[in-house]
Amino acid sequence: MNYGIVLKVLGFILIVESVLMIPSYVISIYTNGVDKNAFLFTILVTFILGMVLAKRKVKDNSISAHDGLAIVALSWLVASLFGALPLYLPGSTKTYIDALFEIVSGFTTTGATILADVEVIPQGTLFWRSFTHWIGGMGILVFTLALLPALGVGGFQIYKAESPGPVAGKIAPRVRDTAKTLYKIYLVITIIEVILLLIGKMNLFDSLVYTFGTVGTGGFSTKNASVGYYDSTYIHLVIGFFMVFSGVNFSLYYLLFKGKVREFLGDEELRLYVVIIAISVLAIALNLFATSYDNFRLAMRDSFFQVSSVMTTTGYSTVDFDLWPSFSKGILLLLMFIGACAGSTAGGMKVIRILIMLKLIRREIGKIFHPRAVMPIKSNDKVMPNETIAGINSFIALYLLIFVISTLLVTLEGVDLESAASSVASALGNIGPALGFAGPTRNFVEYHQITKVLFTFLMLLGRLELFTIIALLAPRNWRKEV
Amino acid sequence: MKVIIVGAGKLGIKLAESMVFENMDVTVMDTNAKILDRVNEHLDVLTVTANGIDIRALKEINISEYDLLVASTDSDETNTLICTLAKKLGCKQTIARIRNPEYMAQLDFIKTGLGIDHIINPDLATANSIEKYLLKSYGFSGDFANGKVQMVDFNIRSNEYFVGKKVMDLKGFENLLITAISRNGVIIIPSGSTEILEGDIIHIIGKSEEIEKINKLFKDDYRKKRVQNVMILGGGNIGYYLADKLSKSKIQVTLIEQDKKRCEELTEKLNDVLVIHGDGTDLPLLEEEHMGSMDAFIGTTGFDEENLLMALMAKQAGVGKAVAKISRPNYAKIVDRLNIDAAVNPVYITASYILKYIRGGKVVSVSLLLGGDGEVTEIIVDKDLPIINKPLRELNLPKGIIIGAIVRDGKVFVPKGDSVIKPKDRIVVFCLTEDLPSLKMFFTDNKGGILSELWNRTKGSRIHPNS
Repeated sequence: MNYGIVLKVLGFILIVESVLMIPSYVISIYTNGVDKNAFLFTILVTFILGMVLAKRKVKDNSISAHDGLAIVALSWLVASLFGALPLYLPGSTKTYIDALFEIVSGFTTTGATILADVEVIPQGTLFWRSFTHWIGGMGILVFTLALLPALGVGGFQIYKAESPGPVAGKIAPRVRDTAKTLYKIYLVITIIEVILLLIGKMNLFDSLVYTFGTVGTGGFSTKNASVGYYDSTYIHLVIGFFMVFSGVNFSLYYLLFKGKVREFLGDEELRLYVVIIAISVLAIALNLFATSYDNFRLAMRDSFFQVSSVMTTTGYSTVDFDLWPSFSKGILLLLMFIGACAGSTAGGMKVIRILIMLKLIRREIGKIFHPRAVMPIKSNDKVMPNETIAGINSFIALYLLIFVISTLLVTLEGVDLESAASSVASALGNIGPALGFAGPTRNFVEYHQITKVLFTFLMLLGRLELFTIIALLAPRNWRKEV
Repeated sequence: MKVIIVGAGKLGIKLAESMVFENMDVTVMDTNAKILDRVNEHLDVLTVTANGIDIRALKEINISEYDLLVASTDSDETNTLICTLAKKLGCKQTIARIRNPEYMAQLDFIKTGLGIDHIINPDLATANSIEKYLLKSYGFSGDFANGKVQMVDFNIRSNEYFVGKKVMDLKGFENLLITAISRNGVIIIPSGSTEILEGDIIHIIGKSEEIEKINKLFKDDYRKKRVQNVMILGGGNIGYYLADKLSKSKIQVTLIEQDKKRCEELTEKLNDVLVIHGDGTDLPLLEEEHMGSMDAFIGTTGFDEENLLMALMAKQAGVGKAVAKISRPNYAKIVDRLNIDAAVNPVYITASYILKYIRGGKVVSVSLLLGGDGEVTEIIVDKDLPIINKPLRELNLPKGIIIGAIVRDGKVFVPKGDSVIKPKDRIVVFCLTEDLPSLKMFFTDNKGGILSELWNRTKGSRIHPNS
C-alpha cells in the first residue's frame, strides 16, 4: 500500500473538514453557545494536523485500487473521530463513544441519536451534526474530489469506493467534473427544499437542519418529536417528497437536466423504486385505516411520510410507528433492507440489487422450463456482466450474514429480538429509528457502550457498502509494496 | 477541450494518456468492456462501451458537444465511417487513422468527400521518421520554430570528444543545451558537472546550424559513408513505405518478406527494390544477401522480438545502423541498453503527430521522446503568464522542465540563468512526462481561488524538493 499518498489525502480531508466546521462555529458564536470554544479548538487542531499531513512530500502519486479503499475507509473514520469533538468537549454527550456514535450516525446519514433530549443541545452543535448528513450523503471524498484538482489517477478508485451501488458511473470525463456536477444537482435540490420549507413558515435554522436531514437522507432533527413537531400537512408533504427525490440516482437528474426525459422515466430502477413506494404506502394506509385510523386521508399522509422516510433510509417520523399494527411494522422493516436507488444519498441494499436478484430468480425459473435457453440478465437494455452479478450476489449474502451475526450480538444485551433485529437493520441500512427498544420515541441511548461501538461500526459498514471496510480489515491490504 | 477516442488500442490509450495530462476532457469508446475497465483504473476518462458506428451511441454521448473525435479502431473503413457520422452529427473536428496504402492516393478526396479533417497513417509516419533518421547521423526528434530549432539525440558510443568529460567542459556547446541523458534506459537531467559516459545517448536542443556542426563530429567517426545499401526486414506497410521512399532517394534497398503473395504485390508496386522471398530469421539467407555489407538494417515485421533480435544480429554482423520497430511500450526501457541504434515506436510517433495537430494555437509543435518519458513542446508565450519578465533562475522550475531555446524576433538563443522570457517569445521546452502537469501550471493562466492556491502550494512543495 502507498502509505504516503493515503496520509496526504487524509490531510486534505481534515483540512476540508475543518473548513466545513466554520459555519457551525459562526452559529455557535452568534447564539453564544457553550460549544464555541470546542468548535474553535477542533477547527484549529483539525486544520493544523491536516496541513502537516497534506504538506508531506510523496514520492509516488499513484493510487491503486486498494489504496483507494484504504483512503475512503480511513477518511470516514478520521473525519468522524475529529467531527465528534464538538459534541464531546462541551459535554453534549456523556462519553466520547456517544459523541462518536452520534457523528458517525451523522456522516453515514443514519440519523440514529443517543441524545435523550435534543432540544437542550446548543444550536451550533445541532447544525454541525445535521451538516454532516449533507456532507456524508454525497460523500466526504466526493466533496474533496470536487474541490481539489484530480488526485492523480486514483480519483476514480476513491469515487468508486465511496459511491453507493454496484456500478459506479461517471457522468463527465473527469472524476472531478463528475463530482462537481453531482454536487451542483445536490445543491439545487437543497436550495429548493429550504425555500419551500421557509414558505411553510418554518424558521430558517430549522429549515436548514431539516433540509440537510432530508436531502442527505439522514434524519437528525431539532425537535424530540422529529417532523411530528410540525402539525402541518404542507411540511409533511414537502419533506416526504424531497426524501423520495433524494433517494433517486443523482445521475438521472443529470439526464433530466440534459433533456432526456424518456431515459429518465424509463430507468428500471427508478420504476421499481416508485412501485415499491406506492404499494407500501397503500398497504400500510389500508392496514391503518382498518385498525386505528378513522380518516383515510390522514392514514395515507402518515403512511406516505413513513414509507418514504424508511425506504429512503432517512428516518424522520411524524407519528410513533412503533404503535402501528405488526403488518405495517413488517413492511417498514422490509423497506429498511431494500433502501433506495444506487447513486443516491440513501443507504440499504439499493433497489438495483433487489431488481437484479428478482431477475436472477426469474431466470432460474425460466431455466427449469428451457434448460438450454440463453438468458442474460439485462438492466436498462444492457447486459449485466457476470462479474457484476456475482458482486451483487455476494453483497446481499454478506449483508444478511452481517445482519444475523450482529443481531445475535445485540441480543446478548438482553433486548428482545424485534428491537435487536430492527436496530441492526436500521444501523446497517443507515435509517435511524428502529422498532421497540430504539423506536421513534426512544433511541439508542439505552444500549450499552460496547453495543454502541458495534452500531457505529455497522453504520460505517452500511454507508461504505461493506466491502470497502471488510477489504481494509484483510491483513493482505496492509502489506507494503515495493 | 472535449475529445472522444473511439478504439482503445495501443494508440487510443496512449493518446488518452497524453490528453489527460493536458487537462482535456477525454471520453474513450470501445466495444470491449474489459479493456475499458482497465482504462478506467489507470486514467481519469469517461468510458463508454459501445460501437462507434452506432449512431445511437454517438447521440447518447452528445457528440455535437465534442471538439474532436479520433477514430483509432483497427479497421480503416470503420474509422472513416465513424468520422463521417460524427461530423454529420456535429462533432467539430475528426481525425481518422487509416493504414491501407491503397487509400493513400485518394486521401484528399476522402477527406473532403467524407468530412474528415485529418488522416493519420501510422505506418507512413513511422517510415518518415526512419527515413529521416537514416539520412542524418542523429536520431531525429523534431524541429521547432519553423526549423530554426532542433531537438536531436546522439548516441555518443565511444566518441572521444564526449566520453569522460563533464557537460560544462564540452566545447562548441555554448549555443546548445544538453537537456537529458539516457543512460542504460534511465533518464538523467544533467547539471554542469554531470560526466558523460560511454554509451550514453544525449538529447540536445539548439539552433539548427549548431546542431549540424555537432553532427560533423560524428561524421568524422565511423559513420563516414552515406547510407547507400539498406536491408529491410518485413514487407508490411512500414516496410513498403520505407522501401518506396528510400528507393526514390537512390538508395539500394533489399526487402525481405516471408509471404510469397505479398512479395508479388510489392514487386508490382515498387520499382528499383530487390524483393526477396524468405524468412527474415534465416541467417544463411541474410548472409547470402550480404547483410554484413549493408549500411543500415531495419526490422519492421509485426513482431517486436524478431525486429529487436535481428537488429542486434545485424549490428553484430557489422551493419552501420540497426533500427527496430517496437510497438510495445513496455520494451522501451531495455531497448536503450541494447546495442542497436534506434528503436521506433509507431504508436508514439502517431500520437505525437496527432497531438501536434490538435494543440494548434498556442502550442505549436510537440514530440514525444525518450520512449514517451518526456516531450518537447513549443509554446508561444502569452502576455498574462506569471513567468514573463523574470530571470529564469527565479522561476523555480522543476528539474524536469528545461527551456531549451528562446526565439525572439526570428533569432534563436539558448537561455542562461539570467535570461528573461518576454511576451510573444516562442520557447522550446523540454519536459519529463511526470512534470507535465507543472508545465501546464507554469505556462497557462492560473485560475486563482483559495483552494487552487492551497493545492498549487502543496503541489509546489512536491516538485521543489531541493529548493
